[in-house]
Amino acid sequence: MVSRESSGDKEYIRRFSFCRVVEHLALIVLFVILAVTGLSQKFHFLGVSQSLIIAMGGIDDVRFLHHVVGILFMVLTAQHIFVNLVGIVFQQWEPSMLITFKDAHDALYNVRYYLGLVGQPAMCGRYNYKEKFIYWLILLGGIQQIITGFILWFPVAATKYLPGQFIPISKAIHTNEAMLIFLIIAVWHIYDSMFSPEVFPLNTSIFTGYIEKKRMQQEHPLELAQLIEAGEEELSD
Amino acid sequence: MKKFPDGDFVSTYVDTNALTMSVHRSLQCTACHKEFSDQRHPDRAFRNKLQFRIKESHVCRDCHAVEKIKFRTIHEALFKKEGVGEAVVCTDCHSAHAVTPVTGGNVSTSEEKYCLRCHASEKHMVFKSGKSVSIRVQVAELRNSPHRNVSCSDCHFGFSAEEHPYRRFSSERQYQLASSEICRRCHFDKYSKFSESIHNAMLSIGKLEAPTCIDCHGGHAVLSLSENRLAIVQKCKTCHNAVYDIYARSIHGSALFKENNKDVPICIDCHSSHSIKNPFLSDFHDFIPDMCSKCHSNAVIMGKYGLSTDVVKTYLSDFHGVTLGLYRKEAQKRYRPDDRPMAVCTDCHGTHEIASVSGTDIQTLKKTLQKRCQTCHTNATASFPDAWLSHYKPSFTNAPGVFIVEQFYKIMMPLMVVGLLFQVFLHIWRYLVSR
Repeated sequence: MVSRESSGDKEYIRRFSFCRVVEHLALIVLFVILAVTGLSQKFHFLGVSQSLIIAMGGIDDVRFLHHVVGILFMVLTAQHIFVNLVGIVFQQWEPSMLITFKDAHDALYNVRYYLGLVGQPAMCGRYNYKEKFIYWLILLGGIQQIITGFILWFPVAATKYLPGQFIPISKAIHTNEAMLIFLIIAVWHIYDSMFSPEVFPLNTSIFTGYIEKKRMQQEHPLELAQLIEAGEEELSD
Repeated sequence: MKKFPDGDFVSTYVDTNALTMSVHRSLQCTACHKEFSDQRHPDRAFRNKLQFRIKESHVCRDCHAVEKIKFRTIHEALFKKEGVGEAVVCTDCHSAHAVTPVTGGNVSTSEEKYCLRCHASEKHMVFKSGKSVSIRVQVAELRNSPHRNVSCSDCHFGFSAEEHPYRRFSSERQYQLASSEICRRCHFDKYSKFSESIHNAMLSIGKLEAPTCIDCHGGHAVLSLSENRLAIVQKCKTCHNAVYDIYARSIHGSALFKENNKDVPICIDCHSSHSIKNPFLSDFHDFIPDMCSKCHSNAVIMGKYGLSTDVVKTYLSDFHGVTLGLYRKEAQKRYRPDDRPMAVCTDCHGTHEIASVSGTDIQTLKKTLQKRCQTCHTNATASFPDAWLSHYKPSFTNAPGVFIVEQFYKIMMPLMVVGLLFQVFLHIWRYLVSR
């Protein structure tokens, strides 16, 4: 699964498979559509939202689009869970996204690093604690959005099994969680993968599937060490 | 032809054209020729034509009594002559069947006096339908109306001492409709509002029972209705009797009738007075929240009755209100899906039958509400109405779930965003220091 390629004097290491690259692209498209169609409803009182809604064909069409893309988002989420569960259980994939004690340690360690108490940031594996935090927030938040979204889409059916107040509760969760995810993506993920000085103007590895060896050395040293250990022969070619 | 003993004669031909163009057109033959009818036609003997004409023209004085006409110099002179035995024949000047006023003789009289010479008497205007209506003007009513200083021809344009065009209407209603056209010459603003109304639309498709100006305001007894709210409701009742009864039992109607409450809405507060719209169209339905909010978001009025002004805000910020707001924007800009009406105040609270929710037990309310929900949400279950927070802002007591979620995010969101921003700044700061 791990391979490396050279272009010029830079050495690249494969970080994401083609499927993960496509998955992330799909997620970007779906996220943007959901955010535009959803937030314009949340902020319906703003002129810009009203113009957007009318440009998209009116509130009925916007809701239709939001529902359809929501379904696609659900499919994407289900696919992600299914593929990774199968991979971990049957293919011996490493469950590298699971949060461990080391992540808590790394986070605290990095606080000391930021304060200048230690000279080096924490040494991270395949995913650092920030990436894991975002990942679980999106995955769990996404599942929460799917469930509450369905309740809001089919309130009559939902109240056959749930008390009526679950509708406004779902609405409160859906609208607030959406805002939270949006803010975290907008503030953190965009900074981390675009404006962060280490990667500016763009961390391309999720799009190309490759990461420069030098950067991997800095950002994921433990993973690199593991790779070198596992593929000593291959790398020494 | 009628011959006289002296060989003279008079033609018995009546020029009906001249008669129908005359001011006496509404009179029957027998009104003047009193001895005659279709059963009786006595043979009368006259010495000569003059005697015939004197006799016949004495009929005129039955209506135009000497006292009424002698104020005119010319008549006074003629009556003096008559006093000394000289013959006075009315038709010498006014002619007989083609009876006309002698023009130029009315300058000294006021227009009102001139018109009232006929229109103060119980004469009738006959319609093609055979029905008739009195042409009498109730002078006292006119004097008490806001139009007391308006002269006859100001309204009855085209009529004056000089001209009195001949009109013949097929029915009284046609005549009333034509008369309503008079008002717009002064009240054009009201007329243009009225012309957009459903009443005018009904008239234009031939439903002549729809009201025009004079049906509500009256004719010579014209009324300004704006002061008398009870009277307005009564006007609408004339046609909308069933709705009136329902309204009278409602919380608004009963307050109006029992305590003459000035705050409660009457018909025109929601439907407007002149530009009344079709209430079944989205054009009207979509704006119902605005009508209700005129009072229900007014703290001064609501304060008197201990009612919350949050009702409109909570509606507008929830699903139905938001969607309605957007539908209205869409209607303004491009289109409005007419097949998707959105629930407004009246869809849950009722329209004319609107009742107070206080005093009704919660289970009955829920059952009623469930039925109202089912109008659109066909299979709504008994727990479905609970999805609506009954115009309450979520609090720990009335909607604990919603309240807790809202509070959780209110704390979490800024905490997380500030935390992440802090991370970002630390990261940049450290990067710059390390370099």
